[in-house]
Amino acid sequence: MKAPFSSYLQALKPGLRQLIALLRRDYDYVSALATDSRGLTVSISQRARSVSSETMTTERGVVLRLWKEGQYREYALDDFDPTAPEKAAEEIRAALEKQQALLDALGVAPYDTPALPDEEQTLFVEKETRQLPEEADVKALVEKLTALSDRGMTLSEHMLDCALRAQSTHISKLFLTEKRDLAQSYVYSEGSLSAILSRDGNTQFSYDSVSGLCGPELFEQLEGKLERVVRVGEELLDAGRIEPGEYEVITSPEVTGLIAHEAFGHGVEMDMFVKNRALGAAYLGKRVGSDLVTMHEGALCAEDVTSFAFDDEGTLAGDVTEIKDGILQTGICDALSALRLGTAPTGNGKRENFAHKAYTRMTNTIFDSGDDTLEDMIASISHGYLLEGMESGMEDPKHWGIQCIIKLGREIKDGRLTGRIVAPIIMTGYVPELLGSISMRSSDREVFGAGGCGKGYKEWVKVADGGPYLKTKARLG
Amino acid sequence: MLETVVEILKKSGVTAWELSAVQEEGWEFYFIRHALDQNRAKKLEEITLKVFQLSEDGASLGSASAQLPVTASRAEAEKLVADLAYRATLVKNKPYTLRGPAPAEAAEEPAIDVPAIARSFLETVRSLPETETEDVNSYELFVSAKTRRFLNSEGVDVTESWPESMLETVVNARDGEREIELYRATYAGGCDAQALREDLERSMRCGRDRLRAVPTPALGRADVLFGSKAAAELYRYFADRVNAQMVYRRMSDWELFKPIAEDIRGDKVTVKAVRELPNSSRNRRYDPEGAPIRDLTLLEESVPVHFVGNRMFSSYLGLEDSFMPTNISVSGGTHSEEELRSGAYLEAVEFSDFQVDALTGDIFGEIRLAYWHDGDTVTPVTGGSLSGSMNDFVKDMRLSAALRQYNSIRIPALTRLAGVTVTGAE
Repeated sequence: MKAPFSSYLQALKPGLRQLIALLRRDYDYVSALATDSRGLTVSISQRARSVSSETMTTERGVVLRLWKEGQYREYALDDFDPTAPEKAAEEIRAALEKQQALLDALGVAPYDTPALPDEEQTLFVEKETRQLPEEADVKALVEKLTALSDRGMTLSEHMLDCALRAQSTHISKLFLTEKRDLAQSYVYSEGSLSAILSRDGNTQFSYDSVSGLCGPELFEQLEGKLERVVRVGEELLDAGRIEPGEYEVITSPEVTGLIAHEAFGHGVEMDMFVKNRALGAAYLGKRVGSDLVTMHEGALCAEDVTSFAFDDEGTLAGDVTEIKDGILQTGICDALSALRLGTAPTGNGKRENFAHKAYTRMTNTIFDSGDDTLEDMIASISHGYLLEGMESGMEDPKHWGIQCIIKLGREIKDGRLTGRIVAPIIMTGYVPELLGSISMRSSDREVFGAGGCGKGYKEWVKVADGGPYLKTKARLG
Repeated sequence: MLETVVEILKKSGVTAWELSAVQEEGWEFYFIRHALDQNRAKKLEEITLKVFQLSEDGASLGSASAQLPVTASRAEAEKLVADLAYRATLVKNKPYTLRGPAPAEAAEEPAIDVPAIARSFLETVRSLPETETEDVNSYELFVSAKTRRFLNSEGVDVTESWPESMLETVVNARDGEREIELYRATYAGGCDAQALREDLERSMRCGRDRLRAVPTPALGRADVLFGSKAAAELYRYFADRVNAQMVYRRMSDWELFKPIAEDIRGDKVTVKAVRELPNSSRNRRYDPEGAPIRDLTLLEESVPVHFVGNRMFSSYLGLEDSFMPTNISVSGGTHSEEELRSGAYLEAVEFSDFQVDALTGDIFGEIRLAYWHDGDTVTPVTGGSLSGSMNDFVKDMRLSAALRQYNSIRIPALTRLAGVTVTGAE
């Protein structure tokens, strides 16, 4: 079935068109992004259970973007009345004039930027889904997750809790200018399961997830992950600490995705180029990785949680080859940064929600696969680790540092897994060295979309990332 | 709108309900150097409903929650309440009752002038003593006035307002063609211009040191001195471990009146929930469930003396007079700065993202700037990482008597941990 576009937004459209026309009297460019996204979250553990209609991306509201004399400003509201656009126009004018008075008093000049182009364009996209979160059988879902949690508790004598979370969101967004009319509706879902185990005061946490551009039918996949999550949790109870140092490593697809995201995902967000905050700007056309490094980014690269038809500035979704055969090709760009840099936007202007600013943000960030097998990769290592499970990461585009917190490492000696586990692991290093050391890549590929991404420490959006198993060298601690 | 929703909830026949409405008027300014990237304003109201249903046999209590769009019609609100009433029957938690009305300590509500707060922040940043080698790369300012009204089926109906500010600043330092940046996120109620100026000027000095930093040596195990914002994460670990949810869900094995570790050789830690800290963005009279917030000692000399948390998990632990803390204050230790700065130690100042895992006790952080104090020499270093476990560190922490506040948490100005694993970058 098609994910139906919001009837609320359809009803809003005539009033928004009037509002845009009213504001055009004072501003030379006006756009409106209106959102109406609904969701479902079911959380089940042994000691606490809940059902909510909220997810990270549920929202309803409108943001207006206005340009005049080189300056952009925005106004976000959630009580727009389509029968009274004059009232909203007056409220917006008054609020922005008050801000302008402060800016004028302080002698603030704008970062002079041209107006965004406005050419005729119409798009109406309703993506396929099997189910909608608002029509999900919540009773069956609660029962299913409860049964899985109960079963998880039986899989190890050390279990403290087995927690599952299922989230599904039906996104509807409308982007309007005088000449543009874009509407999209799609459903994405994500689920997670975690095992908390304890033995002799040592408490450990194991986690896995599923995600996709689909409805609550996705949650059928959780069951297949349960036994492995508990088994990894048991392994963590026996884990030792790693001897700090540089090692040959194989990154599992989840860790590969984390590297893609932190190393060159953030590193080529071109709003950072405008601020001279990214070293990548000076490396376009230059080598940043080995010949085996090719990386794509874009909403069209995969069918996952952020595979939209257009971004939050009305730019159509793209597929950018950021790195090809180790050479940095280009970055990703929001619409205003593109104007400032004299380039084209790539469909990466995203907002945490309608009330937040649009920044250059990632969508699907993925390393290309190769021809190697995981078995051959393991066999090629004399002493190193197979790294599995990502906890978190932090970017450093200015200096190309990288921090990845990884759940565990499986020791490899003389081409074989020894069965010894080390955990947790902090992987740090210099991005070109890390990517320059990539010497093997597997032929498969996985994409993960259950997490969120911040810009620095704020502005959380959905992203997905992944790739194949990669062999490289890394500093582990 | 709220009165309509209350009327619908009262007629719905549900066991209990909670209703929260948070209004926000916000101003935002974004700068590239000192040129305006864009300015933004917003006017929002977030209405959240939570409905509870006791099972017929009284053995379980379920809840379901949702946000109600402020533009929702009466029919939409009625449908939402009906949906929540059904969904709550699907959830089976141990029964508990919602909190009834209770007076909070008297406090004067602050006058909130968003334009004046914004002006003070902008004037401070724009008047920093920049030079050819140290300057402000970019900054983003967020100032809001928020008002929250909370009501529940037991008669709680409380309203309070507060200011919230956040300034994100990126500072550059350069030496010839080489340029580095340092990041600051300053959270506060309003603008404390003097403290902000001092912090940003300190950032510029750190920037100069990072330019001449050498790769962090592989120190193996070393003493590490924390004297920056990252140290707050060390102390949030203690506050998290006495949270009722962590305790009830067995994610914290701490017990009341039992020391958190045997053989503590260093300073013992005392942690208090406090209702007010100067200029904190989290000064509140009530928590999000309408419980009065008060000063309360949570951990005394490394012994848990009170668990606190939300109504559900507090009830499960038999804590009737509980609340969700907003501000945290940690008592000073027994050491002077001179004592803490003796011998060989690594002084960690800037991290990529310093983290402490409240469940496992693991700590992590990539070093962006530290100082290696080795006898008489002090060397700025960068790269590599710190790791280890709070389960070990709590046995030998040395805390300064002097305190320092980071928005909603006040902690010892200096904290020295022994035996931290330092992975080098050489």
